[in-house]
Amino acid sequence: MIVQARDILLRWYSIPFLLLTWQIAVGSGLVESRLLPSPLRVWTVFIAEVANGALPYHAMVTVSRALAGFAIAAVIGIPFAALMAQWALWRNLFEPIFFLGYPIPKIALYPIFTYIFGIGAPSKIAFTFLECLYPIVVTCYFGFRGIQTRLVWTAQNMGAGRATILRRVVLPAALPSIFAGLRVALPVSIIVVVITEMIGDSIGLGFYINIWSTRFTFANVYAAIIMIGICGLILDQAMLFIRRRAIYWQKEAA
Amino acid sequence: MTLRASTLQNWFIPVSLIVAWQVLGQAGLAPRYLSWPGAILAALWELAVTGELFIALAASLYRVAVGFTIGTASGILVGLAAGIIPGVRHFFDPLVSFLYAIPKVAFLPIFLLLFGLGHASKISIIAFSGFFPVFVASRHAVMTVNPLYVWTARNMGASPRTVFFRVIVPAAAPHLFAGIRIGLAHAFVVLFAAELIGSKAGLGTIISYGEEWVRFDLMFAGIVCFAVLGFVSDRILMAIRQRVLRGHLVGTEEGALP
Repeated sequence: MIVQARDILLRWYSIPFLLLTWQIAVGSGLVESRLLPSPLRVWTVFIAEVANGALPYHAMVTVSRALAGFAIAAVIGIPFAALMAQWALWRNLFEPIFFLGYPIPKIALYPIFTYIFGIGAPSKIAFTFLECLYPIVVTCYFGFRGIQTRLVWTAQNMGAGRATILRRVVLPAALPSIFAGLRVALPVSIIVVVITEMIGDSIGLGFYINIWSTRFTFANVYAAIIMIGICGLILDQAMLFIRRRAIYWQKEAA
Repeated sequence: MTLRASTLQNWFIPVSLIVAWQVLGQAGLAPRYLSWPGAILAALWELAVTGELFIALAASLYRVAVGFTIGTASGILVGLAAGIIPGVRHFFDPLVSFLYAIPKVAFLPIFLLLFGLGHASKISIIAFSGFFPVFVASRHAVMTVNPLYVWTARNMGASPRTVFFRVIVPAAAPHLFAGIRIGLAHAFVVLFAAELIGSKAGLGTIISYGEEWVRFDLMFAGIVCFAVLGFVSDRILMAIRQRVLRGHLVGTEEGALP
């Protein structure tokens, strides 16, 4: 019992320790409290903003945009990668776009998206789609290419048709890499939506951060940051849950 | 020299896109905000002649280089320490797992107010956002080094120092580079957001200037420079990786990465 408690204390002391230091530093007036509001103040603001619905509303906006872009990227990207792995012409046509385009910071293209799609949700969703498409296509492509041919041969030998092989052999074999790509893309979608909302919008958590920082009310900024962290955590856990359901035969530590 | 069909196919989409962009743009058939390659090249030349391009490029490059170096160096140092020393690991693990999921750009307003609109705010937020992927990668890399290697080296009488530099670091290096590469990509995203939201110099300023004064050719010139800068930095990092990890990558999945 005591050993366990000591163990937990040893592993988790840093966050309460830092929060306490922060609280004392602000409380004693060592640190300017406008810029660095005390944890207690941030917590009361967070609770108040959740209770009056402001933070949940902006979080819903941000998360729904992120998920929309992410979902379109997944629906288009996974079959796209399968085609790239299967069909030489398709691969030759698109390989340079995905492999040379991969390291290009695509965020630079965002201003053009605002001209094409306007400043609201469509430009955010379209841009999130682009940013998520790259990790999904590249990871899934390697996944589809890495499928052992003997698995396909075995199925063929047992008289399976093309559709059966795709559904029962290729897809399950590629699922781990598909989920790897999706798990990389999911946090990217949140990051991208928050950034683009900070650059210009009138709703969403990025906007919320911007507007409260121009009002020099940093407790609200920290509250929004906490909210983003919670959203990211929930999305990642949901993804892991779906992954465990889909790839039930593979037990892998996250 | 003969052209192979696959090479032709490789070039087909990029080249036809650029040609279509040029033709439609110059004929005025494309929306004005898309500009066209010829005008963008002219704008680049204009910026180069007045020297503005190099001033902006130098500012952006300076911010990325210093911020990325600080973030990566501290990420590697703390990450390796966390991988080896349980005390360090227990201090940083909860913090990182809490902060890792949060886009670091969200802290930008706080950094801007703390460090002003100049270099310092960009450098510090780039370093801040670069720290996390590198920390996670190096911590993970050290923890997953095969203990057999360490035992073998110890058994042959290697000092802790030798074990660290000759066994742990080389074994962890491939993972480290994966983390550093993510850190570099983050650096450019954060740099762009920081320069667009609050800055007085840099490529982001050229882009927002072009937007404000409806000079779309200038805007695209800034975008092109930014993209090239990010692309070239990544290629340099990959070239360094190839050199450092000679022989480590043969036949592995990482060797085939784009």
